[in-house]
Amino acid sequence: MQINNKAYITTTSLSCCAGDNELELFSNICDGISGIKTDSTYFNNTPVAIGKIKSDLNFFDNLVSKCGEILLKSNLDNFNNTLLVIGSSVGGINITENIYFGEGDYKNIDPNYHNINTIQNILEQKFTFKDGISFSTACTSSANALGYAYEVITKGIYSNVLVIGVDALSQTTVGGFLSLGVLSSNPCKPFDVNRDGMNVAEAMACLLIQSKVTNNSVEICGVGYSSDAYHMTHPHPEGLGAKKAMENALEMANITKEQIDYINAHGTGTQANDSAEEKAIESLFGGIPCVSSTKSITGHTLGASGALEAIICKLVLENNLIPTNTFLETEENKNIDLVMKNIQQNINYVMSNSFAFGGNNCSLVFGKVQ
Amino acid sequence: MKINLEILERAYISDTKEIIDLKTKELVPKMVTRRRLTRSAKVAVYLASQVSFTNGRIIYGSSFGEIPATAYILKSIKDKEGISPTYFQNSVYNTAVSYLSMLHNNKCEITTISSGDNTSQNILKSGAIKALDGDTLLLIATETLDIENIEEVNSCIDFLECGVALKVKVTQENANIKCDFKQNKENFPNSLIDMINIAKNCNNYDINIVEIEI
Repeated sequence: MQINNKAYITTTSLSCCAGDNELELFSNICDGISGIKTDSTYFNNTPVAIGKIKSDLNFFDNLVSKCGEILLKSNLDNFNNTLLVIGSSVGGINITENIYFGEGDYKNIDPNYHNINTIQNILEQKFTFKDGISFSTACTSSANALGYAYEVITKGIYSNVLVIGVDALSQTTVGGFLSLGVLSSNPCKPFDVNRDGMNVAEAMACLLIQSKVTNNSVEICGVGYSSDAYHMTHPHPEGLGAKKAMENALEMANITKEQIDYINAHGTGTQANDSAEEKAIESLFGGIPCVSSTKSITGHTLGASGALEAIICKLVLENNLIPTNTFLETEENKNIDLVMKNIQQNINYVMSNSFAFGGNNCSLVFGKVQ
Repeated sequence: MKINLEILERAYISDTKEIIDLKTKELVPKMVTRRRLTRSAKVAVYLASQVSFTNGRIIYGSSFGEIPATAYILKSIKDKEGISPTYFQNSVYNTAVSYLSMLHNNKCEITTISSGDNTSQNILKSGAIKALDGDTLLLIATETLDIENIEEVNSCIDFLECGVALKVKVTQENANIKCDFKQNKENFPNSLIDMINIAKNCNNYDINIVEIEI
């Protein structure tokens, strides 16, 4: 199909352990102030380093508030003509946990507030949308949601799409990643030779994607998808699936690899993910673009990470500032440009990587409005 | 906006409790892979084989995802036991279709939608939008709800295991499948009913075309 329209990120709002708005988050990223703290309230009182949102509101009230913030900051009066696209890996699992662990049975569990559609059900109590759809592909959920937003806008099907990446902390995810032996007991240090795992975190990131450019917009230039077809939890060791997703994103964006100034890596801090991603970046790009992971500050926000890191990419482009790899001391791979300090330079295009269980890969390219 | 999809092949299957004879041993010869498959993965593998789809883009959907794995994890936590890593890796909503990709070495875009009762409707919409690129897609949806004490929360579904697959491509020809997508006299899971009704209303002797209202 002929693609004519462009897709722009025009308005954003967010909440995560490292900040409640864009300015606070980007300042903390650039200053190396991590939101990761040791917490023993999840999973049998086992102390783990996780990223918890600091808010007086409960998680879902906070989400409704952040969604309302989009209306206040955007050129929309309502969402009546807006497609809602959710990306979440766990939906309402924490609601289920609270009931099940408290009562010991399923009797009072509402199926409509257990699954992924919980998020849409909650938001539709407050807002009216033209339509809604939810993606759940584990840690690529909201990256895929953004990709879908890009597709429906460039194909001329919608003019306004609200993408929400959201995942709350739950005992299931904290305990699950503990069982896999991939949780660090400190803020993670992606790409370091001595890295010892990831930090599970919660976040909500809202992005209004529109077909018409506004002040301070950033363009979504392309999206690339791929599947590893390799293993449920381990990425392909040579990063072949990751490389394919990045290649596909460049092709759709119609730019060369040399034009990418910065890659916001998936960079979780696990041995397998970082090693595969390093090889994929080295194989495709060599040492050209600057590379960093911001998960040492935000933690791995699972299904929300694609959307949260899209906002970080927007801030990178707006500020012409590439954030450092906080806590990185000794690079495992010296053939890619893992930045060791913040770098101020003109930035035109950035890439964001998201990889997930099941070998699901999604890369997004963002650019300054030309 | 309306997009017409030609249904190239279709299949559906259901059981009030557990679907038998999914031909898993035949379709997944490697035991090491077969023993890790979830129920929904086995249903997905069976349905993909029924519509002869091995490579290409897939849109999968489920309202409740891998509920048996999730239920097991919740019980383990409640009982202060450790969580099985296999159950955790098999608890994500894209589990079934990930195993399908591994089985056929399918490295294309494979996504998963979970939109409650509108899941199959949204698979059709997103499938139609993506199919505008000109390729043939597999649209597939499953629900596998047979867990211990399911009766505590289930008051409306007669079929605890159910799945449907449609192999589709965009066409400019007129639609000829006329049906009420939401009709559900047999009490299938609502999340699958739009696609099941299309599959049921396909004619063996004609080209089958359905109009998807976006």
